[in-house]
Amino acid sequence: MFAIENLRKSFVAPGNTVVNAVDGISLGVETGKLLTLLGPSGCGKTTTLRCLAGLERPQSGKIVIANKTMFDSERGIFVSPSDRGIGMVFQSYAIWPHMTVFENVAFPLRVARDRRYSAAEIRDKVRRALDMVRMSGFETRPATQLSGGQQQRLAFARGLVREPQILLLDEPLSNLDAKLREQMRVELKRLQKRLGITTVYVTHDQSEALALSDEIAVFSAGRIIQRGTPQEIYRHPKSQFVADFIGSANFLAGTVKEATAADGTALVETPYGVFRCSFADAVGQGQSVLVSARPEDLALSEKSPADGLNVLAGKIAHRVFLGEVVDYLVDTGGTEIRVRTKPELDFRVGQPVHVSVAPHKCVGLAS
Amino acid sequence: MKRAQEPEGRLEALSLANFRLESLADWTLAGGRAAWLRPRNLALVVCVLVAGWLVFVPLSALLYTAFTEDTGFGPGPASFRNFIEAYSSWHILRLFGNSLLFAIGTAVVTLLMGGIVAWVVERTDAPGGVLFHALALLSFAIPGLLTAMAWIFVLSPNIGWVNMVLKSVFGLKEAPMSIYTLGGMIWALSSHYFPLAYLALGPALRVLDVRLEEAALVSGARYWQVMPKITLPLLRPAILSTVLLLFMLTMSSYEVPRLIGRPARIDVFTTEIQAATQSAPPEFGIASALSLTLLCICVVAVFFYRRATRNAEAFATITGKGYMPTRIELRQWRWPVTIAVGVMFAISLGLPLLTLVWQSFYRNLAQPFMSSNAPATLENYRFILSYPIFVDAVKTSVLLAAMGASLVVALTFIMAWIAQRGVPRFGWALDSLAFTPIAIPHVIVGASVLFAYLMLPIPVYNTIWILLIAYVTMYLPYGMRFISSGLTQIHRELEEVAEVAGARMRQIFLRILLPLLAPVLLAAWIYIFVLAVRELAASVFLIGPGTHVLGTISLTMWEEGGSYGAVSALGVIQIMPLIVIVACLRWVELRVQRRSEAASAKAGAAG
Repeated sequence: MFAIENLRKSFVAPGNTVVNAVDGISLGVETGKLLTLLGPSGCGKTTTLRCLAGLERPQSGKIVIANKTMFDSERGIFVSPSDRGIGMVFQSYAIWPHMTVFENVAFPLRVARDRRYSAAEIRDKVRRALDMVRMSGFETRPATQLSGGQQQRLAFARGLVREPQILLLDEPLSNLDAKLREQMRVELKRLQKRLGITTVYVTHDQSEALALSDEIAVFSAGRIIQRGTPQEIYRHPKSQFVADFIGSANFLAGTVKEATAADGTALVETPYGVFRCSFADAVGQGQSVLVSARPEDLALSEKSPADGLNVLAGKIAHRVFLGEVVDYLVDTGGTEIRVRTKPELDFRVGQPVHVSVAPHKCVGLAS
Repeated sequence: MKRAQEPEGRLEALSLANFRLESLADWTLAGGRAAWLRPRNLALVVCVLVAGWLVFVPLSALLYTAFTEDTGFGPGPASFRNFIEAYSSWHILRLFGNSLLFAIGTAVVTLLMGGIVAWVVERTDAPGGVLFHALALLSFAIPGLLTAMAWIFVLSPNIGWVNMVLKSVFGLKEAPMSIYTLGGMIWALSSHYFPLAYLALGPALRVLDVRLEEAALVSGARYWQVMPKITLPLLRPAILSTVLLLFMLTMSSYEVPRLIGRPARIDVFTTEIQAATQSAPPEFGIASALSLTLLCICVVAVFFYRRATRNAEAFATITGKGYMPTRIELRQWRWPVTIAVGVMFAISLGLPLLTLVWQSFYRNLAQPFMSSNAPATLENYRFILSYPIFVDAVKTSVLLAAMGASLVVALTFIMAWIAQRGVPRFGWALDSLAFTPIAIPHVIVGASVLFAYLMLPIPVYNTIWILLIAYVTMYLPYGMRFISSGLTQIHRELEEVAEVAGARMRQIFLRILLPLLAPVLLAAWIYIFVLAVRELAASVFLIGPGTHVLGTISLTMWEEGGSYGAVSALGVIQIMPLIVIVACLRWVELRVQRRSEAASAKAGAAG
């Protein structure tokens, strides 16, 4: 649907330092899929989106949307944002305060150049767009008299009214309160699936990314450090950054004792014991690695499990009851391990426990 | 359910009524002695009386003079004769026409010039923004009278050097341009006021959310469609308020009409009012009748101005989070755009100033950069500095401005505190009292103060005190605006904690509020001082045989045939210290700004 090749964009920050906001990114997505650009603030995800929209002019690279070259630094091509045929929703919604709800949505049709829309067509299309986001009946309302959630729906209607080939969303849910955000997340996913519109979604919220995406690209410091489906990213992070940024994880440093076996696991020696972990890429003996395990993948027990594999002994240092789950901090004499269990298992603070993890849930990271 | 609630609701209403009664009783009878004797209430009453006196006594005198017969020995019986006399000739239509064309023309020209500068400085990556901003602020140091003089030196058909140069270059018989036209007046005032339009429009452009324009671009609008469809409508409240402000300022302006308009017989309200009071015999009644029309126009303009600025705030609040200013990349046009704006500044501010400075070194008419028959000389400066009336006027002006600024700052400090903290219930009364003079043109302040103190048995006429009264009245709104906004920045808790710690009212004022507000008070003082030193429009009514101020002696010297060189030297001597003072003001303001930014950044981090 679109393809970005080797995109570079740098800014001159105050103090005359050059910031490489986007540092050689290549990216693409299939038609009808939702791709999320995920990363902490300042990682280049929004800049990438703005380059895609044509709101920023990159220094070099190539952008193709729907088989049409929008930007090519070598051939000197730059298509202006108004000619790219995209829909976009901004973080601040950017609802025009001097127009009514109807006029806000009708604007893209009124300025369209590929064809002239008749008044009846405009009315019809605006009505359908507002229907889609459940905003019918608000047509004559001045845009200044809308709540945050309504402004956001309106921004979607405006982005969709031209039936664009690609929809760009820049943290569209981040200005809503928690409850409304969750509700809009479900609605957004449903709408996107129903319209089958290719969508690029920028967010720093990992749970949003996991819930919405067909595919996630994790950004850090202007580069993509891992791409994959939400499951792949969550289950098989390839670096400490990804493991830590998406969900939470415990880390233990160690060295490889026994190189990768046929089943993709290797034996790692750490100061707290020996662990069998699965590695994405083969590792050799003696290599220093990180062992990572998510709190919900760890099991707590009073007695050491029978096989004695991947076990840490420690004491409950802290207990937090969260309702559906209970979080424990286990002191293993030198490091603290976070464990998340069902509330049926009840351990007291100070009680000696064993923490264990299955080898396929114990992810080894070549550091 | 409904029944059960009813008595409760009534009870609530009753207790509320009780509470009101109690608080009223509290207010009148607290602690056994009348509450209005409590210092803050006493201060409120005194402030209302003082401000009310300053504002309403002259206005009453104006109304009284307008609606009574002008006997030549003070007002006589009630009559409408002044109005009939003032408004029954064809001349009045010309007066209306000239005034409106002058004001609308100036508002439009300044809006265009100021708008271009504001757009370049705030929205593009053209270099030189800081310099243009500084130049705009410095232009405030140049008295309007001197701008008018300088433009006469530049563009008069007889002595204007640009005309002479053009005539000799193109072999013309007639001067191609004349300052003595309505267009000339508009240009002279616009060159002086366009920085104001820039300063008014700049913040609106700065807070305009660029996303609103980008949303239009990605919606398919072209760059040239975004300006009329999105940017300009969004800026409409700001544009409207700027136009109204400049319309009002031009309507009340006096210097350009006096120096350029009167010789050209292009009369406007301000000059006509002044001429009526100075005619022999003085026609105070006609002057008052004309003043009322001008006053009405200005009051209406202020009303719509305040409404427009309120709308501007309603528009601004819609911008969401995640705002990041994006400037338009001009690429190869960066320097051409900067140079174009620079040329605009050079022509409108540099040209008259340079002419004035150049002329001040020659006794007779001189052209900048042209060879002159006579050598450059400091004779003019020597003459001015040893001219006893000048030295006298400097002393009077500086003394008056210092006293006026101090009084206004002290009065508005107390008024702002009472309005916001002391007795907030009656704050609106003080606020509106202090802001009323903003709608009164200085010419009318001068005339009405004159009428009032000619009638009242208070012997201030022909002393500097009558000037002081006028100055304090005129600059009340400026003091109030500075100090009110300064006070809102100081959290109430800072006072309360001092009170809890055992400080008394006087100590809170001296040890908490005064140090915290010091930079704001200083900025207000300097600002008012500069305005008062260059004041002319009200002063021409109020000077007597024994009192002169800088503005009036400059005017007298110009009109009564001082040499061109001497008049220019007199101007340069005034401008130079003012530039230094305005630079100081800017420095103080930057400090205030930085401090409040730091405070809000800290508050943001804590929140």
